[in-house]
Amino acid sequence: MFHWLEKHPFFFAVGVFLVIAFAGLVEILPNFAQASQPVVGTKPYTLLEMAGREVYIKNSCNACHSQLIRPFKAETDRYGHYSLSGEYAYDRPFLWGSKRIGPDLHRVGDYRTTDWHENHMKDPAGVVPGSIMPAYTWMFTNLADINTAYADQLTNAQFFNVPYNKPVPMKDGTTLTVPMAKSVAEANAMALEEAKTISADMKDKDVQDMVAAGKIPEIVALIAYLNSLK
Amino acid sequence: MDIFQLQGYAYFGLVTLMVVILYSYIYHLYSSEKKGTKDFEKYGNMALNDEIDDAPVEKISKDEKK
Amino acid sequence: MENRPLEYDYTVAKMFMLTTVLLGAVGMLIGVILASEMAFPGVNTMLGSLGLNEFTNFSRLRPLHTDSVIFGFTLSGIFATWYYVGQRVLKVSMAESKLLMFLGKMHFWLYILVVAAAVVSLFMGITSSKEYAEFEWPIDIAVVVVWVTWGLGIFGLIGIRRERSLYISIWYYIATFLGIAMLYLFNNMEIPTILATSPAGETGIGAWYHSVSMYSGTNDALVQWWYGHNAVAFGFTVPIVAMIYYFLPKESGQAVYSYKLSLLSFWGLMFVYLWAGGHHLLFSTVPDWMQTMGSVFSVVLILPSWGSAINMLLTMKGEWQQVATSPLIKFMVLASTFYMFSTLEGPIQAIKSVNAIAHFTDWIVGHVHDGTLGWVGFMIMAALFHMAPRVFKRELYSKSLMGTQFWIQTLGVVLYFTSMWIAGITQGMMWRAHDEYGNLAYSFIDTVTALHPYYTIRAVGGLLYLIGFFMFAYNIYKTMTSGRRVEESELQSASPMAA
Repeated sequence: MFHWLEKHPFFFAVGVFLVIAFAGLVEILPNFAQASQPVVGTKPYTLLEMAGREVYIKNSCNACHSQLIRPFKAETDRYGHYSLSGEYAYDRPFLWGSKRIGPDLHRVGDYRTTDWHENHMKDPAGVVPGSIMPAYTWMFTNLADINTAYADQLTNAQFFNVPYNKPVPMKDGTTLTVPMAKSVAEANAMALEEAKTISADMKDKDVQDMVAAGKIPEIVALIAYLNSLK
Repeated sequence: MDIFQLQGYAYFGLVTLMVVILYSYIYHLYSSEKKGTKDFEKYGNMALNDEIDDAPVEKISKDEKK
Repeated sequence: MENRPLEYDYTVAKMFMLTTVLLGAVGMLIGVILASEMAFPGVNTMLGSLGLNEFTNFSRLRPLHTDSVIFGFTLSGIFATWYYVGQRVLKVSMAESKLLMFLGKMHFWLYILVVAAAVVSLFMGITSSKEYAEFEWPIDIAVVVVWVTWGLGIFGLIGIRRERSLYISIWYYIATFLGIAMLYLFNNMEIPTILATSPAGETGIGAWYHSVSMYSGTNDALVQWWYGHNAVAFGFTVPIVAMIYYFLPKESGQAVYSYKLSLLSFWGLMFVYLWAGGHHLLFSTVPDWMQTMGSVFSVVLILPSWGSAINMLLTMKGEWQQVATSPLIKFMVLASTFYMFSTLEGPIQAIKSVNAIAHFTDWIVGHVHDGTLGWVGFMIMAALFHMAPRVFKRELYSKSLMGTQFWIQTLGVVLYFTSMWIAGITQGMMWRAHDEYGNLAYSFIDTVTALHPYYTIRAVGGLLYLIGFFMFAYNIYKTMTSGRRVEESELQSASPMAA
């Protein structure tokens, strides 16, 4: 039987495929339904947060920062409560990262402010002496892509039943509804409203002028996203 | 029986099956060579005598299906 | 022309040899830039006066480095050697089939298109964020087309073969083809956002190339690392083993030590490798049993890996003088030694208590690089050195240059992994250190500044390897253009080299 296989390339290929495929089937599939259930307090991303998440991905922030707190004392001391599977239910893609050149960011919204991020993104070494993180000055002039973020939200709602416009349970027993716009025009207006609350806490004059003129720089969206990481 | 139990049995069954197959393969390799029915080591020459006009280690004969 | 004897046709192999060298140089150059940026952050803004900071920045360049060495250098090397080894061990020439020749050339040109698209999109920051699967859906589809073209070429060539049994290298190439196909397809399942419709009825909103992953959170991570780990298996292990099973016996004139062992290792590797992916997610939120499984199978994986590596070293039994005299054999023997080394190091890192320290640190980076620089890089360069005299019908340009290159690069690899070991373990220990009152002993930035000397050493190590690679490229170029022409009879086993 074995010898026969070695002379029949087609059946050989089928054999190889079966051997390599079955690990994936047994290991990965059964976990799927369970792992994607959100925990209480996890809510979908708002439009500006989603746009910020795309800025985060565009600049591969995940190449240097993890979003996964492991259950060790040293980690929970440094970054907060260890990460739970359900907290990632609305993360498409996941952004755990694989290398901490910089610190973990999974709960950065708990201990950093808009103001801190603004200064830090302009001049990391000025805020944290010795930092090897480069400055991300172009984020103060490039505009965030709100339309794509809106399309991202729509895709999440339509294909994956992410509960936009529906109440989700919060930790204090109340519910919270994350609204989603009905049209592109409304989406842009909503994002601008969100952007104004962020830029109000920022010092950069140019950023404030841009937001006042109806434009949203990438940095505003990114900070909205970072603040949402809790 | 929930899906995780099934997963456990499937996992155990498949791994056992693969191990049995792998060990019977080892047995097959060494016993058939000992009995002299097969010579696996000759296949090593496929890399050494690989000019296009070298004789193949095992030729595909015309009348046989590939 | 009618009576010209049949010869192997290396047209496509030559094309892929070119991209191996070019993309290898680009990928490694970017690697050295990245390493310098970590040691000296000022390098990030080296083109700042041109307003190009966004494009020379560490985070933007990082996927370009990994993808150009994986999908540029390594994949080109795999294709180049396939179009060489495939014909020879099946004893059939590509010149015998117009269709296969066409498929081969189409494979190459489509590949070039995908490479160009990938480079541009990554520079623009168009990425799905998944490591080694950064490309967005339009490129993913093109990748599938390239892959299927290659597969048709493989099975087409096998279909018209003269040799009845498939040599072990062919097994490994087939496994590479199937493994990557399966992994890539499942990991890149995504929904393009242009398919979404707003309640107001608008369609095609936002960037057309953007997509949303089919999986979320923990599941996405699980699929990604099932892919990430096994892309290493089927991109960096399986095809490179295919190469060494052909090139080392051929160059040394010694048949494989034990063909039976090679068959066993093959099935063992296929069986075990896929289970080990869980070791990337230890202490994460994936189910516990899966993490343990990842650990256990990673350790079991030592057996089939060492089966192949020991088989290679034993092939040299009684012929060790060749290691001293031939730089080409040196490259291959060191490659299989590094293979043993990194397949031992990997399982050690997959042990839970070790992983608790090693994960997220530079030790992992060090592990990846002793595998890629020492094993993959050395083996692919050795394969090209062996192929060059045969495809160009010329003598290798300089043996002494090869020897120098070997030592420079070996030094580079050693500097690289030793510095990353120390950096990784230092940082891992500093992260978890507590003082006598139970408070964290170091702030995060303390653990970064402590690494500066190691980052500098690593950059030097990487630079040495890059210099060696340029020597390799020069040597191949000179072989192609001005090496002494050789006769068929000189090409039987050991490659002809000029002093």
